[in-house]
Amino acid sequence: MSSVVTEPLTENTGTGEQERLPVLLRLLLSNEFGLLALIVVAAAIFATALPGFTSPFSLFTLSRQIGIDTMIGLAMMAVIVSGGLDLSVGAIGASSAMAFGYFAERLGLPLAAAIPFTLALGALLGGINGAVVVRSGVHSFIITLASMSIFFGVMIYLTKAQAFNGLPADVTAFGRMKVLGSVSALLVVTLAVCGGLTVLYRLTRLGREILAAGANPRAAELSGVPVGRTVIICHMLTGALAALAGLMLTARTGAAVPSMAGHLGQDWLLPAFLAPVLGGTLLTGGRVSVIGTLLGATFVTVITSGLLLMRVSEFWVQAFLGFMLLAAVLIDRARHTILKARGMV
Amino acid sequence: MRTSLIKGGLAAVAALMLVAPAVAGSDTKVALVPGGPHPYFGAWEQAGKDAMKDFGLAAGDYRVPQKWELAQQSQLLESLLTQGYNSFLIFPGDAVGTNAVVQEIVDNKGMAIATAGCLKDPTPALFCMGTDTGNSAYLGTKQLIKAMGGKGRIAHFTGFLVDPNTQLRIDAVKKAADETNGAVTVVQVIADIDAPQPAEEKINAYLAAHANDVDGIVTTAWVPAVTAANSLRKIGDKRIKMVGIDHDEVVLKAIKDGFVNGTMLQNPYGQGYIGSYVLNKLRSGCKLKEDAPWKSNALTKKFVDSGTVFVDAGQVDTYVDAMRGITKTILANFEKDYMTCS
Amino acid sequence: MDKRFGMQLLDNDWAGPALISLAAILVISALQPSFLTPFNILVLLSAIAVNMVIALGQLVIVGVGQMNLALGSLGGLVGVCFVGAIEVLGVPTPLAVLMGLSIGVLAGMANGYVIARTGISAFIITLASLQIFKGINLGITKAQPFYGVPDVVKQFGNTAVIGPIPWLIAPMLIAALGLWYLFRRLRIGRYILSMGGNRQAAELSGIDTVGTVIWAHAISGLLAAAAGMMLVARLQIGQPTIGDDWLISSFAAPVIGGAALSGGHVSVAGTFFGVVIIAIITQALVLFSIDPFVVQIVLGSLILWAVGINRFREWRFAKMATAGA
Repeated sequence: MSSVVTEPLTENTGTGEQERLPVLLRLLLSNEFGLLALIVVAAAIFATALPGFTSPFSLFTLSRQIGIDTMIGLAMMAVIVSGGLDLSVGAIGASSAMAFGYFAERLGLPLAAAIPFTLALGALLGGINGAVVVRSGVHSFIITLASMSIFFGVMIYLTKAQAFNGLPADVTAFGRMKVLGSVSALLVVTLAVCGGLTVLYRLTRLGREILAAGANPRAAELSGVPVGRTVIICHMLTGALAALAGLMLTARTGAAVPSMAGHLGQDWLLPAFLAPVLGGTLLTGGRVSVIGTLLGATFVTVITSGLLLMRVSEFWVQAFLGFMLLAAVLIDRARHTILKARGMV
Repeated sequence: MRTSLIKGGLAAVAALMLVAPAVAGSDTKVALVPGGPHPYFGAWEQAGKDAMKDFGLAAGDYRVPQKWELAQQSQLLESLLTQGYNSFLIFPGDAVGTNAVVQEIVDNKGMAIATAGCLKDPTPALFCMGTDTGNSAYLGTKQLIKAMGGKGRIAHFTGFLVDPNTQLRIDAVKKAADETNGAVTVVQVIADIDAPQPAEEKINAYLAAHANDVDGIVTTAWVPAVTAANSLRKIGDKRIKMVGIDHDEVVLKAIKDGFVNGTMLQNPYGQGYIGSYVLNKLRSGCKLKEDAPWKSNALTKKFVDSGTVFVDAGQVDTYVDAMRGITKTILANFEKDYMTCS
Repeated sequence: MDKRFGMQLLDNDWAGPALISLAAILVISALQPSFLTPFNILVLLSAIAVNMVIALGQLVIVGVGQMNLALGSLGGLVGVCFVGAIEVLGVPTPLAVLMGLSIGVLAGMANGYVIARTGISAFIITLASLQIFKGINLGITKAQPFYGVPDVVKQFGNTAVIGPIPWLIAPMLIAALGLWYLFRRLRIGRYILSMGGNRQAAELSGIDTVGTVIWAHAISGLLAAAAGMMLVARLQIGQPTIGDDWLISSFAAPVIGGAALSGGHVSVAGTFFGVVIIAIITQALVLFSIDPFVVQIVLGSLILWAVGINRFREWRFAKMATAGA
């Protein structure tokens, strides 16, 4: 499991010795396994009830949507882990994707240049967020509330709200590309990024510093972690991942559309929080679960697709997602309370 | 508004029963999908239901994306494809972007007609059927110029920037004004206001500031037409001439009361009804003629005009008949002109 | 905090924004005389009336140290329920208004209850309820507006009491004066601000924190409902997208008006002038045919600027406090 906790999952016995819970029990109690079980159950129900659910086309579109939603979730996860949040992920994603449209269509840059420039722009915008947060000491909520407005406004102003729909054919082709039969290439990209992030948080010093800074900034500072710089790096990572999500969405829809993340980028807020929260990443920071985010996004996508196929009105599905977020946090809170009462957290 | 449309629609249906072949139990499942929620497409719902009944379709369902957003429409179309729909009437969320999902439809043995808005060539859609929006805007502006006495300043309020028709309309209004050799000029274009809140804000703010600087208003989108009609009524202005679009009750009443000079009607019911008919025929063995009398517009070379009509105070009460007549004509001639059926 | 400092802060909160508003009005009307025509003033005051109620809805939550993301979607939901009840269920208008306000209060209380009892951050809870309200809204309306707004409501939203003063100002004044009185004189107002200022201290001094939070959210819901119905009156249709763009402006006005986002300090007068500034800027952009998308950039910058000034003042007072100690 790629979840990293700052306290060991132990049970305190009266004699002062500490027993670790059996690994299997820990696994089964974990958030991630619960999600996996739910996904399997939901998928099984839908597959038997709906003939079209397991068709190659359906699996392809499912995998593609999972890839995109996970990436949006990873973008938010990268900043939650440092104890902050970023309301401007949608604005950064849309702005970066529009910049990509400009690079690729207007300037005619080859994709090998346009894509890195786009990711760099995302990181830059995120970095601006991070720098302002660190320098001003103001909570990232209000800073990114302002920046979402500014980034989005500048983007709309520069593009005059016009879409770029003359993108190189490779872009759309990548969005339709299949691997291993019906797995979307976009999902493969996401899985690669998941792998990279897992390595980051588990194996690198930077990752450990991020977790420490998120869990307890003061203690981290005292033990030598450059908290300010770490927070900025987290925001930059968020921006880059948001830009990548914007690119993936552009490949999927075939055009760089300014409204891809809604007004001011607001539409990404729910998926951005839902996936990590479902997956066990704490909003308070210091604990991250990359696999959890992936599973969270998968669960949401499977349920949404299944409901739509069951002819549930697409309008009610939105309310359902809201209830799901609520349920997720309530269950998580309940679980923590129970485990805490038993001394297991 | 809806009841008169339904009445007109049902009457059209009765008249067309003679033309439409009774195909029992076809497997054509038609989905009518606009680019997002909008009152214009309300008529598609009834058109789909009537087509299903008249032509024996397996389905004639009107499904709306939650908002005007390309990814939402693409997702809905993919879901519909998975649900078994095989015939699509689509208003493109983006003139080029939607080609990607239409290709997926075609790859999965479906077919699609771009409706009320065209996809840009090259496109896997069969053809495009809609109002010749450029022509409609042109004719409407010419009517406005006539009402203005041939000279003055025009303000143009139009629809979403993502709507492929918007640029066509902007160009057409300008063309009509340019043809007066300077007597009439377009002094302001406000776009992207095809929704109540932005329309209300921008139009009111504009009239508050510039009501004395403008002699005529042309609106080429439904919501600005309604808002502008309301605003002119609110400030009690009959000096500024106005030509609107579509058949919202507010606009029609304003025409009767003298605040608005006329409106350009489109044919949403006809688009839905005829489109369903054609898709069903094509699935039953007919083929489109390459050398059919296709029209061209800025986006595509395979365009079928679903008709437009200017309606002023004298014709307001009978506008339904006018559109019904056009629908009947197109349907009666379609097979002959555009298809070869074995 | 020393009451003297509190009074000083309150006094300083609205003076700045008021001056800026005045300056803006003078400059703009000099450049564009049509700014002061009765019709334009009517339009401006209508916008201010609605936006002030929205800002107050957020202000009370900021006061208790939280944030309410569901403000807009609750307003939109109440708006469509209001018209829907009249058009589809035949409910008489005054009853429908009451019904709308009740929905707002109940929804707000639900939010407040969940937040207070579970201890989960208001951000996440209101993000979830944002989705839920929006989803119910869309489920009821299928994204199509309700057209059956009664004439009396349309008149209320679009005509003037006298001169250029719109009827919409009336609910705004009631809300503003009510909230001002609440924070100044009523116990619940003090509790809200105490909780926002220092939650632990408030708890220790015996304040019923759960009840206070529920009250705050109930008031917020009430105001959101009122704003939603006011917008319906102004737009003359029950439009499901009402509230979609309330997020930024609901925070911007209070922040410009001197509210501390950490909680514990609010200014109704400051918020009012914050709303005025935003309304003037928005209108001016259209008047001068400046690209309207610039509004977003301006709003975001205003927030940053206001936050910067607030931080500076906090820092300065902290210095003075330690210097005087």
